Amino acid sequence: MSTDPIHQFHINPISEPIQIGALDATFTNASLFMVAGVGLASWFMVSAMKPRALVPGRAQVVAESAYNFIHSMVKDAAGEEGVKKFFPFVFTLFLFIFAANMLGMFPYFFTPTSQIVITATMALMVFFTVIVLGLAKNGLKFFKLFVPSGVPWYILWFVVIIEIISFFSRPLSHAVRLWANILAGHLVLKVFAGFVPMMAAAGLVGIIGSILPLGMTIALYALEFLVAFLQAYVFALLTCIYLNDALHPGH
Amino acid sequence: MADEKPPEDVLTDLRRRVAKARGEDVPPSPPQSPASLALRFGGEFGAAILVGALLGYGADTFLHSSPVGMVIGIGLGFVTGVVNVVRVAQSFNRANAGDPNAPSVPDDED
Repeated sequence: MSTDPIHQFHINPISEPIQIGALDATFTNASLFMVAGVGLASWFMVSAMKPRALVPGRAQVVAESAYNFIHSMVKDAAGEEGVKKFFPFVFTLFLFIFAANMLGMFPYFFTPTSQIVITATMALMVFFTVIVLGLAKNGLKFFKLFVPSGVPWYILWFVVIIEIISFFSRPLSHAVRLWANILAGHLVLKVFAGFVPMMAAAGLVGIIGSILPLGMTIALYALEFLVAFLQAYVFALLTCIYLNDALHPGH
Repeated sequence: MADEKPPEDVLTDLRRRVAKARGEDVPPSPPQSPASLALRFGGEFGAAILVGALLGYGADTFLHSSPVGMVIGIGLGFVTGVVNVVRVAQSFNRANAGDPNAPSVPDDED
């Protein structure tokens, strides 16, 4: 039913079943909106930067400030070296998450970032980049990440265990943060929106009373736009912080 | 005098102009919604417990010591969770330092 708050998260195939080996690669509504997110982000950046004007137009200003925003964030969190190595990766992640979140704000649209598979895939991408690059660049010095300096030897072994668990908990909290924020936001939005037709069905008093949940829905909608941007930013920022560990292990 | 800005605005404005004059970029700081902050604390804590339990469970399957590894793992996960939460709180406080010019409020220790 349309007032079911879970209904918006259902994944429905929209093509004939596609099977690649053991992999079910059927094109679903989630795939469609991921492709749409990638398309929207790349279309906007390419078309906005097409004039390459010295005095930028409106679209170019938006594209350039998005670039500058992420550029200064990567520089703050991971230094000049981080910018050289990771800026394209972080910027791509940010634009994809932002575009997917914003597309999800349209009624009846699907939000790919409300699926933990998608956020976990991105978080694991960052996690394995940190491990592979950290080992390749620093060799065994990478393991200094788990051994904080200035800790007496008799509690050091305990601290090392704690640090290892903490390191492995990163991709989980990284993925859950984005997923839970988007999922919870869309659920709450749908629950309040669902009150409107339920109350309106109860007669004249209900119709007048349904103004209250309607107002709440509008207010939450504004908040969700903030969350959509903020979570894309937070995901990119955490990516920078974790990637910085690969470049400079040791506390 | 009537259209003077309140002193807080003047101060933040001055701070920004000083930072700009020193050639520092004014860092972009989007507002944190309280709900996302709460989710962040909870997520860090819960993730550490889950990973601790999983590592303990993994150790059990290799060492055939069930359920000792998982019990120890959950315990260590809790410790790690607290460490994670303290780290998040520290970085949050560093990013949102209190106003040094704020009037001090007397409390029980004074």
